[in-house]
Amino acid sequence: MSEMTVAQRAGAEIAVDRAPFFPRKKKTITGRSIAVLILLTICALFFCIPLYVVVVTSFKTMDQIREGAMFALPNVWTLEAWDHAWNSACSGINCNGLKVGFWNSVAILFPSLILSIGISMITGYALALWNVRWAGAFLFILFICAFVPFQIIMFPLITMTATLKIYGSLWGVAVIHAVLAMPVLTLIFRNYYKDIPQEIMSAAVMDSGSFWNIFTEIILPMSGNILIVVLILQITSIWNDYLIGVTFGGMNGQPMTVNLANLITISTGTTRYNDNMAAALLTAIPPLVIYFFVGKLFVQGITAGAIKG
Amino acid sequence: MTFRWSRWSPQLALVPAVVVTLTAFIGAIFWTIYLSLTRSRRLPEYEIDWSEWGRQYERLFKDDAWAISLKNLITLGIGSALAIVFGFILAAMIDKERRGESIFRTVFLYPLAISLIVTGAAWRWIFNPEFGLEHFLHSIGLTWVNASWLATGETAMWAIILASVWQSSGFYMALMLAGLKSINSEIWSAARLDGVSLWRLYLEIIIPMMKFTFVTCAILLSLGVIKAYDVIVAMTNGGPGQSTYVPAYFTIQALSAKGNLGYASAAAVMMLAITAVIFLPLVLLTAWQQKRRGRATT
Repeated sequence: MSEMTVAQRAGAEIAVDRAPFFPRKKKTITGRSIAVLILLTICALFFCIPLYVVVVTSFKTMDQIREGAMFALPNVWTLEAWDHAWNSACSGINCNGLKVGFWNSVAILFPSLILSIGISMITGYALALWNVRWAGAFLFILFICAFVPFQIIMFPLITMTATLKIYGSLWGVAVIHAVLAMPVLTLIFRNYYKDIPQEIMSAAVMDSGSFWNIFTEIILPMSGNILIVVLILQITSIWNDYLIGVTFGGMNGQPMTVNLANLITISTGTTRYNDNMAAALLTAIPPLVIYFFVGKLFVQGITAGAIKG
Repeated sequence: MTFRWSRWSPQLALVPAVVVTLTAFIGAIFWTIYLSLTRSRRLPEYEIDWSEWGRQYERLFKDDAWAISLKNLITLGIGSALAIVFGFILAAMIDKERRGESIFRTVFLYPLAISLIVTGAAWRWIFNPEFGLEHFLHSIGLTWVNASWLATGETAMWAIILASVWQSSGFYMALMLAGLKSINSEIWSAARLDGVSLWRLYLEIIIPMMKFTFVTCAILLSLGVIKAYDVIVAMTNGGPGQSTYVPAYFTIQALSAKGNLGYASAAAVMMLAITAVIFLPLVLLTAWQQKRRGRATT
């Protein structure tokens, strides 16, 4: 049981970005404040440089890029590169643009979310609230699994998915995402559910609620917050993944990141840098939108799932 | 809670997770360890010649590319550790100042939302030797600056470190900020009354108090460094030559490009060993914390 708390503790100590917001007194501005603010602004500008460069490059023409003024604004703002990246950029031998990869990524996302969250939620619930004798040991094993480098299980997983006839397809990628996410997600759900008061569970069992009844009638309605956090964590990590997509996707199941990597690394003829940058932005937009709209929950999700690295 | 009719439901509900754990994780780990002892090349061979079971490992340690990988792993680890330092400084400034906190947090964290492939693509473009940063600096008269880091083996790792630090500083900032906020606010006023300088306060009181946060960050960073793969692919593809190989990249190269399963398995087992070495302190530390807390409450 003491090992189990390792997982809990790590989870708890990591998921801390929930400090309460205290109303603050207005401070008078001092010299030190100004210095700190200037320093922070310089750092913030450094963080924005890559985004700025990528955005302006994506709107430039190749002629202007060849002038080499990297930080200049576009002479003529054009959406040509965006159109080209989406519709006809070449990734490997296929010149169908990133739209193929985009829809692949979408098609991978949904089954993978349902599978990974479904299994982890039920497992976390069973381990947290029901008397399972080997729960402690199992949680410790899950905790270790969360740290295992992908390379050490890669070949066996290829063989297994090939046996199941899903290797080289969208399903292969989706299932592997679900499998790899299972340990961490289970720990997250388990940590959340273990705080549900024992009285609620006892009362529910008294009401002759069965395992599944209690799950659907009590636990599921109580899981809103954690579900959103886990959803954000999973959507961003599945969308941003490259290694699993390139390993299990084959020719027909490549997600958007794989197309992008091919686009920027394999150059046939003259490299169209504006296309590359537009493609990079297209790939980055979905997670960035999530981040800017639900930043706080995003941070919670990322910190809760930090061991997934 | 041991009602007859529902006794088996929890156990049944655990079946998928247990099956996945036993096959996809534990079974697979032993499978790879076994393969690393065989002579498998493109296809697996399940026969072990016990007289030379360690041949893959022997080859591995004689391989220059593996030596480079390990060296780069250490370089990347030390370089990326700047992200923790940087993250702490940012967090301390934000926490002390409080004005514009949400704006700065948003700006410092956005790189984390982006795929490492996109991060790599962006920095690869900035380091572009023809039209990138170097061209720009030379065009404004700074001809002595050498900014095409990706072109030479000695500097390519720096560019990868810079991209990694850019990507992850915000994450460590968020963890540190949470740590700083959990520090009792009375400490600040007590220190001010005692006339302790801000530097000494941070170095002698705040940082020691945040020991656990720092260790957590260090462990997360090390695990991230071992797993570093995407950013290498997007920025250098291991090149120039083999100068930016890291173990994660080496292992996948051995499997996909060289098609040598036994060899790749041996490299993967070494990766697991490195992970275990990093993972162990976490277990010990938590056990120690547990004991300390246990003592405090009783």
